[in-house]
Amino acid sequence: MKIGSEKSMATTPRKSRFDNQVDTPKNFEASGIYDTLIRQERRRAYVGAFLINAFLGFYMAFGVYFLASDFQGLEMSSEVLGFFFPLSLIFSYFWSRSPHSIGRSIIERTNPVLKSLRTPQSPDSQFLRAFTKIITGFLLIETAVLGWVITEMDMYALLSYEGLQGARRIFVSIFTPEWSILGMVMTTMIQTIFIALMATLIAIPVAFVGSFFCARNLMKNSKTGLLFYNILRVIFNFTRSVEPLIWAIIFSVWVGIGPFAGMLALMLHSVAGLAKLYSEQIESIDRGPMEAIEATGANPIQVVWYAVVPQIILPYLSFTIYRWDINIRMATIIGLVGGGGVGTLLMQYQGLAKWHHVGTIVIVIAIVVWIMDYLSAKLREAIY
Amino acid sequence: MEPILQVKDLNKVYNNGVHALRNISFDVKPGEFLAIIGLSGSGKSTLLRCLNRLIDPSSGKVFIRDIELMGLNKRELRVERKRVAMIFQHFNLIKRKSVLTNVLFGKLGSLGTLSSVLGVFSEEDRQKGLKLLETVGLRDKAESRADELSGGQQQRVAIARALMQDPDILLADEPVASLDPATSHSVMQYLEKANRELGKTIICNLHFLSLVRQYATRVIALKRGEILFDGDAHEIDEDWFREIYGDDAKEVEIR
Repeated sequence: MKIGSEKSMATTPRKSRFDNQVDTPKNFEASGIYDTLIRQERRRAYVGAFLINAFLGFYMAFGVYFLASDFQGLEMSSEVLGFFFPLSLIFSYFWSRSPHSIGRSIIERTNPVLKSLRTPQSPDSQFLRAFTKIITGFLLIETAVLGWVITEMDMYALLSYEGLQGARRIFVSIFTPEWSILGMVMTTMIQTIFIALMATLIAIPVAFVGSFFCARNLMKNSKTGLLFYNILRVIFNFTRSVEPLIWAIIFSVWVGIGPFAGMLALMLHSVAGLAKLYSEQIESIDRGPMEAIEATGANPIQVVWYAVVPQIILPYLSFTIYRWDINIRMATIIGLVGGGGVGTLLMQYQGLAKWHHVGTIVIVIAIVVWIMDYLSAKLREAIY
Repeated sequence: MEPILQVKDLNKVYNNGVHALRNISFDVKPGEFLAIIGLSGSGKSTLLRCLNRLIDPSSGKVFIRDIELMGLNKRELRVERKRVAMIFQHFNLIKRKSVLTNVLFGKLGSLGTLSSVLGVFSEEDRQKGLKLLETVGLRDKAESRADELSGGQQQRVAIARALMQDPDILLADEPVASLDPATSHSVMQYLEKANRELGKTIICNLHFLSLVRQYATRVIALKRGEILFDGDAHEIDEDWFREIYGDDAKEVEIR
């Protein structure tokens, strides 16, 4: 792997931050850890830099592709996409070889190991450096302009007289709510709160058990463990990438429109979300107590129960409360697609264009979510 | 006398290519207090962890009495681990549990999964735990939470936990490296007590030569994963010291 300043490293050995952190650099270098660490760090930094460059490359290539198909009537075929996608990848690869590309300069300036190795004056010519700078600037501006066109930004629609009239109408309606329906709104709001509660409660045990199988540090020691780890990760990642609103649509077909569908949708998403938070917590625990319990001849279940669980129980509680808070927020809108609760009511009044009624619901939602948000923050503070 | 522990041609190469141990062989007799010294990164901790297979060596053999550890399956290994207790630099107590419970964890290896998960320890074990706490002078702290104790006290609890296992061998991985000099001596004295009065064989990683000379009956020095010296602590003079720790090193004494 060739990365920028390696050449200059060979000729002039630089002091790195490692020299201060390790008690005996001589011995450290002899054991080979020093070189290995820098090599690992470089590889990781290179991946990061490539990703940043590729993001910009993708945005540029896909922007051009979108415009081409939109204006020129070019067929939105997979062949055209198959041309642009590898093109942007190749571009990003070559671009990442330059230490002045945007990804490289960000990563190498911030990485704690590499920033001390970065040469102030690169061996590249002045011309090359100016050239990459111009390319970076051009790409950033070009991507922003493409974005403006593609998202159909329209300042006239936003600020014209008719537009502002519409805004005035809806804001006035919302802030003169129809209080006669307050009782009904509160009833459905209670349903919403219970949807969130049940979704969280059912998700906790499933995510709790699942999180141990999703923690790399617990699973990496055996082949079956790794298999479980990978399968569960794929399932949970998929579940999490599909928004609860879409799960609600699926469940409303499965079990019929209503709060049960909404609860199932939120529950499924919460399991995946909590399992991720939980397992990250497990991955960051102190290994020491695990070693100590293991050394007594304890079996794996005992190790988890006595060395892992005590370390994670408080963060778990905090995450769960946070998730419950998110679920209440989500439960209010899950009704929009047939998930029951206050959202369903909102949907009905919006369809009838009864903006005063909509206003009542919006205000109730805002107050309830705000209160829950506040309470959840206070609770989590009290735990830590 | 039959050796209680035999190490033969032990090698450890980590996944990142670091060769931590090179052809380590030595015997330990029952009742020895063996100190292992060497620079950070010389392989001390790796060696100690290979002796109860917290780390699996790349090649070589470890015998405890006549049982070879590498050939054991996980269940058999757990039975052997009960005879080899370990204490650590950072004590590794379970912070949120009481001192007595931490001591009782030494018995986990002999307890069924269900009863240990429910936290049911026999009255006999509890009495033994309390007695061991008395041995390390912490009887009155039995009900305190482990993280309320000072560093030296926590290490003494760790010693009690290790003794709860009824081990033949006690491994100590830099037991005093994060303690102040006075506390260090107190912890070392309890290890000495375990060695002399209870007859436990002790293998201990140490940094300070003065502690080694005072407590250990034998020293092994490691350098870059190889045994450089094996013998009596008092034989380590200036020259050996430079050899082990490098030319720039200066001996620091701990009183």
